[in-house]
Amino acid sequence: MKKNVKENIGLVFANIFFIVICFLTLVPILYAFSVSLNSNNSLLSSDFSFIPRHVTFQNYLAVFTEEPILLWLKNSLILAVVTLVLSLSTGIPAAYVFSRKRFPGRKPILRILILLYAFPSLLSMTALYKLLSPMGLINTKLGLIIVYTGTEAVFALWNMKGYFDTIPVEIEEAAMIDGASPLQIVMRIVMPLAKPTIAVTAMMVLIYVWNEYIFAINFMTGTDTYTLAGGLYSLQATEMSGSWPIFAAASIIVSIPILIVFFALQKNMAAGLTSGGVKG
Amino acid sequence: MKKKKKNILFAYGWAAPSLLLILLIVIFPIIYTGYISLTNMNVYHWNNYDIIGLDNYKDALFVLDNGFIKAFGMTVLWTVVSMVLQLVLAFIIANLLNIKKLRLRNVYKTLLIFPWAMPGYVSILLWKTGMFNSQFGLLNQWMEKLGFSSVKWLNTNFLAFCCCTVVNLWLALPFMITIIDGALQSIDKSYYESALLDGASWFERTVYITIPMIRQIIAPSVVITVFTTFKQFDVIYLLTQQVGAKTGADIHTIMTYAYEKAFITNNYGYSSAISVIIFLILIAFSIVTNLKPKEEGAV
Repeated sequence: MKKNVKENIGLVFANIFFIVICFLTLVPILYAFSVSLNSNNSLLSSDFSFIPRHVTFQNYLAVFTEEPILLWLKNSLILAVVTLVLSLSTGIPAAYVFSRKRFPGRKPILRILILLYAFPSLLSMTALYKLLSPMGLINTKLGLIIVYTGTEAVFALWNMKGYFDTIPVEIEEAAMIDGASPLQIVMRIVMPLAKPTIAVTAMMVLIYVWNEYIFAINFMTGTDTYTLAGGLYSLQATEMSGSWPIFAAASIIVSIPILIVFFALQKNMAAGLTSGGVKG
Repeated sequence: MKKKKKNILFAYGWAAPSLLLILLIVIFPIIYTGYISLTNMNVYHWNNYDIIGLDNYKDALFVLDNGFIKAFGMTVLWTVVSMVLQLVLAFIIANLLNIKKLRLRNVYKTLLIFPWAMPGYVSILLWKTGMFNSQFGLLNQWMEKLGFSSVKWLNTNFLAFCCCTVVNLWLALPFMITIIDGALQSIDKSYYESALLDGASWFERTVYITIPMIRQIIAPSVVITVFTTFKQFDVIYLLTQQVGAKTGADIHTIMTYAYEKAFITNNYGYSSAISVIIFLILIAFSIVTNLKPKEEGAV
């Protein structure tokens, strides 16, 4: 009996603890959300509350009408899709042979790829700038695509190779005995089995391009060439004159697709954490 | 024999597009960075630079006033503080999540994971404007309500370091909680039952069962987190050092230091030398820890 009471008190405290922690965790997001719904004038009053008193969508409307967010979205999408196509179309065959074939040079190349994976592309920014500018690629989408594809090609290769390693070879061997060509094997057998990793890899590439701001702001100089991340960055950089409610609304808009993708892929991510890409 | 050769050709043929891409866009710029690091390239010598040998490296490593050594010390401190706090807090939270009769466990988990799901730079900017801003930041509104005067959170080194650490924790804890939570669930419950029969206290169970059991499982993720914390750029840059919006705090990790030397003071040669040094540190670290990437966790 006594033990039960003790346990219940413990449970009550644990629940209180988690409610407090969850609230503290969500405060910055809740605050931004409520500011984005608030009409401008009630903001600086000291009795701010999390539930906006005068709900308005005016700030969201302003994001679409006063800021070129749709243009930024278009830029981001173009960059993302081209990067995605390039890194997947080169990455899938490469990941396949690195997973299935044994050939001289395989181990050293894989080792180098691990090191490259650890290398933050930020560090070669000067060199990239210096190389791209004589080619006239600064301030163009192609320049950013080149930078992003390089970073993501390493990731795509490693990530998919790790998953291919977990697909049993026996099916492919059977198909080979039946006389299927390597291309047929990959297209008909490996690709369908590898759908989860291709989906996760694709999403990671998209998220990367969606979120990358530092190359975007240094390599792109006009507001009409900004990506979403660069644009959002510019909205807050002029904070003195800019508007916090509009920035909050824009932040929420930019975050929503990523949140959806994240929670949709959460199960795959958890699986990826425990099984993906560990075997060298 | 002929078949083997054909096999090799086949493998390289299929890997070639990807490898060529990586060679051209990733490896070549790194090598080029190495070359720039041997020159005096800067804003005045953008095209007519000279090769000056290892001078940039000497400046970075042996001239204390240049600030690289200080930034390196800061990076180590930053990594240690962040990792210790992360591990301790995540361990406590994950343990509490595993209390037997906690019904709302999954609700809490979903809410706690939220910061991980948000785009990182958006969160950092929201923290900067929403929480730390001296006019309409929430922290100062709370301070005023409690009768304190408002604080300029990001303007002094110590406070700014604390703020950056808090934001970094906020960003990184969900991943660590998920990892430790998963590890805790993989422990065979019978160990605890027999320990309870022997009368072991909670503390004893933690030290003798939980920690030894989960250490192996979480090790790779911890190593990767050490990497990302060491390389962390966004938090410190976005909170304190944005161009035109520097807050006055002067905390640099080696990453923000390299960036500032390249794109603010335009000393490209010197900055490239810093980049090469950082790369060598990362290589050394990955050899020591024998890192094998687990990519999907590094959102």
